[in-house]
Amino acid sequence: MEAVSVPLEHGLVLAALLFSLGLIGVMVRRNLLFILMSLEIMLNSTALAFIMVGARWAKPDGQVMFMLILTVAAAEVAVGLGLLLQLHHRFRSLDTNAASHLRG
Amino acid sequence: MLDLVWLVPIFPLAGFLILFTTIGKLPQPIAAAVGAGSVGLAAVVAFSAGYVFLADGMSPLTVTLYTWMNVGDFSPGLSFYVDGLTLIMMFVITGVGFLIHVYSTTNRAVFIDDEHHSRFFAYMNLFVCAMLLLVMGDNLLLLYMGWEGVGLCSYLLIGFWHDDPANGAAARKAFVVTRIGDTAMALGLFLLFLNFRTLEIQPLMAKASGTWVLGSPTLAAFLILGGAVGKSAQLPLQTWLPDAMAGPTPVSALIHAATMVTAGVYLIARTHELFLLAPVAQTAVALVGVITLLMAACTALVQTDIKRILAFSTISQIGYMFLALGVSAWSSGIFHLMTHAFFKALLFLGAGAVIFSLHHEHNILKMGGLRKRLPVAFWSFLIGSAALAAFPFTSGFYSKEPILMQAFEVSPWLWAGGLLGAFITAIYSFRLVFIVFFGEMRTEPIEPTGLSGTPWAMAIPLLILCVLAITGGWWGEPQVAAVFPEVSGEHHAGATAYITSGVPLVGIVLAYLIFLDGRLKVTALTESSLGKVLHDFWFSHWAMDWLYNALFVSPFKWVTAFNKKDILVDSIYDGTAATAAYVHTLLSQTQTGVLRFYAASMALGLVVLVAVVLGLT
Amino acid sequence: MSNTELVALLPLISFATVITIVLLAIPFWRNLKGICALSVVGLLISLATILWTTRIVPIQVTPLVLIDQYALLFMTLICLATVAVALLAYDYLKEREGQQEEFYLLLLLAALGAIVLVCSSHFASFLLGLELLGISLYALISFPIRGQATLEAALKYLILSGVASAFLLFGTALIFAALGTLSFNEMVQGFYVDVGSNRLYVMVGSALMLAGICFKLSLVPFHMWTPDVYEGAPAPVTAFVATVSKGAIFAILLRFFIWTDAYQYESILFGLGIIAVLSMLAGNLLALMQSSVKRILAYSSIAHLGYLLVAFIAGRLAGGAALAVEAASYFLVAYFITTLGAFGVVSIMSNGNRERDLDDIASYEGLFSRRPFLATAFTAMLLSLAGIPLTVGFVGKFYIFAAGVQGALASYGWSLLVALIIGSGIGLYYYLRIVFAMTKRPAATDSAATEWITIPVAGGWVMLTLTGTLLALGVYPTPLIELINSMVRSLPL
Repeated sequence: MEAVSVPLEHGLVLAALLFSLGLIGVMVRRNLLFILMSLEIMLNSTALAFIMVGARWAKPDGQVMFMLILTVAAAEVAVGLGLLLQLHHRFRSLDTNAASHLRG
Repeated sequence: MLDLVWLVPIFPLAGFLILFTTIGKLPQPIAAAVGAGSVGLAAVVAFSAGYVFLADGMSPLTVTLYTWMNVGDFSPGLSFYVDGLTLIMMFVITGVGFLIHVYSTTNRAVFIDDEHHSRFFAYMNLFVCAMLLLVMGDNLLLLYMGWEGVGLCSYLLIGFWHDDPANGAAARKAFVVTRIGDTAMALGLFLLFLNFRTLEIQPLMAKASGTWVLGSPTLAAFLILGGAVGKSAQLPLQTWLPDAMAGPTPVSALIHAATMVTAGVYLIARTHELFLLAPVAQTAVALVGVITLLMAACTALVQTDIKRILAFSTISQIGYMFLALGVSAWSSGIFHLMTHAFFKALLFLGAGAVIFSLHHEHNILKMGGLRKRLPVAFWSFLIGSAALAAFPFTSGFYSKEPILMQAFEVSPWLWAGGLLGAFITAIYSFRLVFIVFFGEMRTEPIEPTGLSGTPWAMAIPLLILCVLAITGGWWGEPQVAAVFPEVSGEHHAGATAYITSGVPLVGIVLAYLIFLDGRLKVTALTESSLGKVLHDFWFSHWAMDWLYNALFVSPFKWVTAFNKKDILVDSIYDGTAATAAYVHTLLSQTQTGVLRFYAASMALGLVVLVAVVLGLT
Repeated sequence: MSNTELVALLPLISFATVITIVLLAIPFWRNLKGICALSVVGLLISLATILWTTRIVPIQVTPLVLIDQYALLFMTLICLATVAVALLAYDYLKEREGQQEEFYLLLLLAALGAIVLVCSSHFASFLLGLELLGISLYALISFPIRGQATLEAALKYLILSGVASAFLLFGTALIFAALGTLSFNEMVQGFYVDVGSNRLYVMVGSALMLAGICFKLSLVPFHMWTPDVYEGAPAPVTAFVATVSKGAIFAILLRFFIWTDAYQYESILFGLGIIAVLSMLAGNLLALMQSSVKRILAYSSIAHLGYLLVAFIAGRLAGGAALAVEAASYFLVAYFITTLGAFGVVSIMSNGNRERDLDDIASYEGLFSRRPFLATAFTAMLLSLAGIPLTVGFVGKFYIFAAGVQGALASYGWSLLVALIIGSGIGLYYYLRIVFAMTKRPAATDSAATEWITIPVAGGWVMLTLTGTLLALGVYPTPLIELINSMVRSLPL
């Protein structure tokens, strides 16, 4: 059976859609956990884009970047979860609006 | 040795710093030693540098201390340019300056107590430093710094006895009037920079004959002339100098006779290529010179304050220097600057001695018969006035005569004006001598008088200046020829030469007849209605003060009274501030502190950025 | 990997070694002073290796990293800034509760990230450096966790920085799609694409990348995190964020743009120009009536990055890449010195076991009578930020101005220059407001303004050095200018 290759444009459109969904999620959700999840979606969409492009150009760079992005995203979210715990400890809620004292 | 020429301004600067930081703590002799000594050291270096320069073949030299920064074409630096012109100015400033400083160390000279000594010498040293920077700087930035510096020191020294508000007013007037000139000069400097992108004087002069992007050589020359007339007290900005006599006499000698007022002459001489490219401006220089010298001479004729006579005489002599520059007698103009420094400083210092001896009496009509009691002052005045009147074989003669001869080459009218001025100069200078030193004594001088009563610190500088005033011209014109272009035409000893030399003699004789001998009665002339009008007119300096008051000061005062609540200008500032505050409040509200809002603004920014990037393709 | 390549990597290797040593030392040796000393010594050793490496550069070590004079200059700057922050942090932390030694570990990691960022020549190392810097900063900003402010600041920074990283990565992916390579070297020829879908990819990719970078540089409209994070974070950390983080990212941005000659895309430059103008104006306007010193400094840093962009844009257009690099480098050095100094003062004032940093202007009142040297140092820093002559900030701003004028005269338009002038004018107001407050007598007798402030040893030396350098470079900038010029000459521009 022939390998069906996915056209680059399709993959990029998918990545873009996921990216937008993630961005909207960050903008709209108030719960910190969901914001972190949306952030993850954004980062993973970019990773997807890299895979697609790497496949298009038949280079390993895309896969390498994918690994790097995954690692970085994981580290970031780890720190984020630590902060989430602190937020809960201090404000007894995960609402980011509770942490809006710095303004002006 | 020439490399050490940068030390010359540093010594007086060090003197200023030492004295300024220890005001009131140093005893008078030490303060005086520091003050005079620093200028003395500077003079030593200057003279040795000059000796090396002359021996070396007189090639101009630039000594760079350091460059401040180097951005694009803009690299202002602390560097000095030494050529014949610079050296002459340095000699005058440090040499005559040193003599005046030594003179000032005597209490009688400055009439002040101990605590003021440090302050006085500090300001004087700062002045010498600034003046040296002015003449030695190789770029316009340094020149301007020195220019402003001397203006500041002049202000500080005129108003030295600041307890009397009149002195402060005189200082302010000097500052404001010269400021007008300074602004014109600054504009001229900007114009030069904009056209040629460099501030260094020599390259500027070389490029000036090229194409001008903005303005023209004439415009720049006129602007620089504006600055020069302000600092050198020429028409129309000469009204400050007579009032500046409120300062101590050594100040008048140094700043308002020998050095600062010659800064304008130096400026025009330094930028002479520019003036050569703008004949209209050069003619204007000559006209300004000749008109001013006549006006000032007439005024000096009827003054009765001894220092004011000398002040107007200074204005008049600087007019001669301007005349010289205007007719391209460059070397003669600078020569006259040098000899003028000698005899004018001599006259002022002598006047200081006279004033002090007569309990601070300034009115010459209350003096008289001091010849025997104040011999040093008498001989100083006699020699100085002879030089001032260009008596044959004095230094003044050797410098003034070539100027007038060259003026004749350019235009007989200029020559006639200069000649008339020389005639009146002779009259008023000897009028002064005869009234003060001959005739009956109207005020008793304080003891001690006579040769023994004069401290050596006063006598020796006066002696040296007397010698210079007489012999200064015997060594020929100073070697500035290399700086300036050749002047055509030899000075032939024709009828004009004899007339030029003889007219001052006629003036002296006339003065003798009127004021000493009494044979020629001019009372009929002076008592007549025309005579009275002329007398008052000349006395008030051709009503210039009244004119300026009516033209500028009164309307200005009216505007300030009208604008008391500051509606006009303040509304601009208040409006700006209010707008800024309003916009700030608006923007501040965007910092809501809500995380999602920030994220949203980022997303919005992204969208707009992408749109801009794509849309403008 | 050949020997020379290893030697070229020496700064990075030594940094990593120092980090490992500190990492291992901390559990066994709980001594803040000792760990601080260890870190500073390690940083100085790395500095020495940097200086040693200057002899053999430029060297491309794997496609990831290019060590050349440009990178080394910025590495030196980062090292020195980190030393200053380390010393200031010691005094800041020593009186606070909890085990603080990990601070130095995080600081060194962040510095390593910045260094990797500066010498990267491939998007992979770019990402690594950026994220290493970023993640360490998340932890640093929330360190120590007392009070709400630090937590809030860290949260905002983390989320928004993550979003910005996502922007950046997506943009990179698009550029990858168009050009087929992630290495800067291979992008040199083909970055400018005339027509076709590739052009679309590159432009949109560049826009996305710029959006991410502008976030890190706190440029309008991606600037909103700046005041909150600066206010909430501990003062030494704020100093680090304001200087090293921004400086490193700007350095790599400049390198990327000049390498690939992205200047040929006029619309990108236009977009950057709009961002620059908005930053200069908004940054200065927002700072106008603030009462918190840290917020004022935050907004002023927004404006300063706007000024830097002027050199970036206009300098390249008119004066060539050389002028852009020269002006930007000098301005960055000036910016580093002044920002470190300003936040250093705030840090010294905030020493001791307190809940919030002392950053209200009212607490600075009468500082001249309490602590004249500290007040003088602060005044010097503020005047340098304002660009008064005889300070290093003046020379930096002059460079920017020169670049802006050249750009304007090259018919790029006067808007950048006008915004620069207006911004500087507005800036003078709030800088002087702080100076005036320091000269006033404090109103209440029991407010924070009358507290006694001890000047710590380490922090005091840091402030002294910074103030001295500020004045020395302001009066005699030639050595630094020569250094930067020699660096610029060695670049293949």
